[in-house]
Amino acid sequence: MAKPNRWSYPDLGLGVGLRTSHYGHILSQKPEIGFFEVLTENYLDTGGRPTFILDQIAERYRLVMHGVSMSVGSTDPLDFDYLAKVKALAKRIGALWVSDHVCWTGVLGRNTHDLLPLPYTEESLRHVVGRVRQIQEYLERPLVLENPSTYLEFTPNSMPEWVFVARLAEEADCGLLLDVNNVYVSAFNHGFDADAYVDAVPADRVCQYHLAGHTHKGTHILDTHSDHVVDPVWQLYGHTIRHVGLRATLLEWDANIPPFEVVHEEVLKARVWRDQEVSNAA
Amino acid sequence: MPHEARTEAAVADRVLKIATRRGGRRRNPGLRIAPEGSAARAQELALDSVQRWLQAVIVHPGDVEDAIGSTEAAQELAPERLGELVKPSHSLTSAERVDIYHGMYLLRMVEALESDYPASRHFLGEEAFEQFVVDYVQTFPSRSYTLNRLGDHVPQFFADNPERPHAAFLHDLTRAELAITEVFDAEETPVLTAEQVAKLPQRAWASARLRPIAAFRLLALRHPVTPFFEATKHDRPAPRPRRRASWLAVYRQKYSVLRLELSRTEHDLLAALVGGTPLGEAVAQAGLQVRASRREASVFRWFRTFIAEGMFAAIEA
Repeated sequence: MAKPNRWSYPDLGLGVGLRTSHYGHILSQKPEIGFFEVLTENYLDTGGRPTFILDQIAERYRLVMHGVSMSVGSTDPLDFDYLAKVKALAKRIGALWVSDHVCWTGVLGRNTHDLLPLPYTEESLRHVVGRVRQIQEYLERPLVLENPSTYLEFTPNSMPEWVFVARLAEEADCGLLLDVNNVYVSAFNHGFDADAYVDAVPADRVCQYHLAGHTHKGTHILDTHSDHVVDPVWQLYGHTIRHVGLRATLLEWDANIPPFEVVHEEVLKARVWRDQEVSNAA
Repeated sequence: MPHEARTEAAVADRVLKIATRRGGRRRNPGLRIAPEGSAARAQELALDSVQRWLQAVIVHPGDVEDAIGSTEAAQELAPERLGELVKPSHSLTSAERVDIYHGMYLLRMVEALESDYPASRHFLGEEAFEQFVVDYVQTFPSRSYTLNRLGDHVPQFFADNPERPHAAFLHDLTRAELAITEVFDAEETPVLTAEQVAKLPQRAWASARLRPIAAFRLLALRHPVTPFFEATKHDRPAPRPRRRASWLAVYRQKYSVLRLELSRTEHDLLAALVGGTPLGEAVAQAGLQVRASRREASVFRWFRTFIAEGMFAAIEA
């Protein structure tokens, strides 16, 4: 049985991303669920209905925060106004942890609102390690970083992504959110072995998993979060929990979002793999 | 009769992950950029240079070939050296891989703006709206951590570009749509009740001032816009814009955003109250615009409506 993560963040079981179209169902039906993941940026600058709803959900459910704008890899200065709002929101809703991505989103003061890939070089690693340390010091908590899905690779890369991510986690002393679907997507797009990626992940730094559906375009795969999880990703999830252990597992469904019950049922499929891991360990 | 302008279901979770759902547009499958083969790393670009290059390519309004050859991108990397920075994959050339990001950028901008400006999107149609977005984000690119602020300059964009078709009308329509998004996100403030108003001593009325709720906007427009919201809501063809003054209050009530069409006199009374004019003076000014026989009844009916609709947060004697 693999070790728990080093911060003893709890295995919250199975959760889904909190989405606007599910608010009514969640508030009226109060479904039993391990946790919800909140999209950080949707709640930073609003005093209206989103905040009103979130406060009610925070009273009943365990929440984690997941952002897309921290831009830990950008060469622009860190945005401390943004970080202050992230910190305040985490405190307000009692978020168990705060995550973002190993990426950058813009430079020269602009934001492309995309999770853009970094060159995996020593220079990039030094840069990102320094920024993650600064962010953690400011937030006064470990930052949890997700491996991105990427569609291009830089020729000057001096290490594979899994080495970059593992070294980043160790050298910045941060947590990891292992997106199993992203590993699968990038493995296809770049032609690497997804199992080898997972095997290189430092298990004691993994705090959470992501699962999602994607869109296969023939020549490449897009991380669209628009469908059910495909079988090879479930297989990879099984491999992941054998290597890393049981962790809070979240299903992302962000496009063509079906009713809450469908999303919930999809993540509950992970029980089979989790139960298998428990019985193997017994 | 107020109209609900925005409900929770109308507000998308505007983050990147939604915006990427359609994937990269392949506007130019026959890319002509050649030298993928030069595997040699002639020179490693510094990280900041790589980032400036990729961003310049992604946000360029032309196709990916134009983008890679643009002045901004070429300052960082000569187009013929693309293969030295971006590897081809087993199935895509270097340029095609960059094009995935390039195509998704505009899609994200379109999705964010059509979420905030649905009536303008309905009026313009898909093609014209997309062209507007291409032009808009060149002038006002996102500089915020949230896409919720991307559309803040849309009314200004139409004011600054009067030569665009229907610019004057779109300036009005987008002002109303921007007001809706602002009201949606405004801080929640207490609402002044009729009972609280009734407790104000008679002698304090004339000098009392009303403070509006934070989620309140008042608009004086040169075109009626309500028919365009209705056409959007019911998915009917948008009518032709007509030039005629109109007045609108946009406000939030129990977390729903409402629109209320006003007469000019109602607007002026509200504007005076919101601007901090003492009640007696504001009511007297409004009364001057109404026939004497209906003056008192009209002004006090409006006033009761404003209070009942929850437009004010406090009354200060």
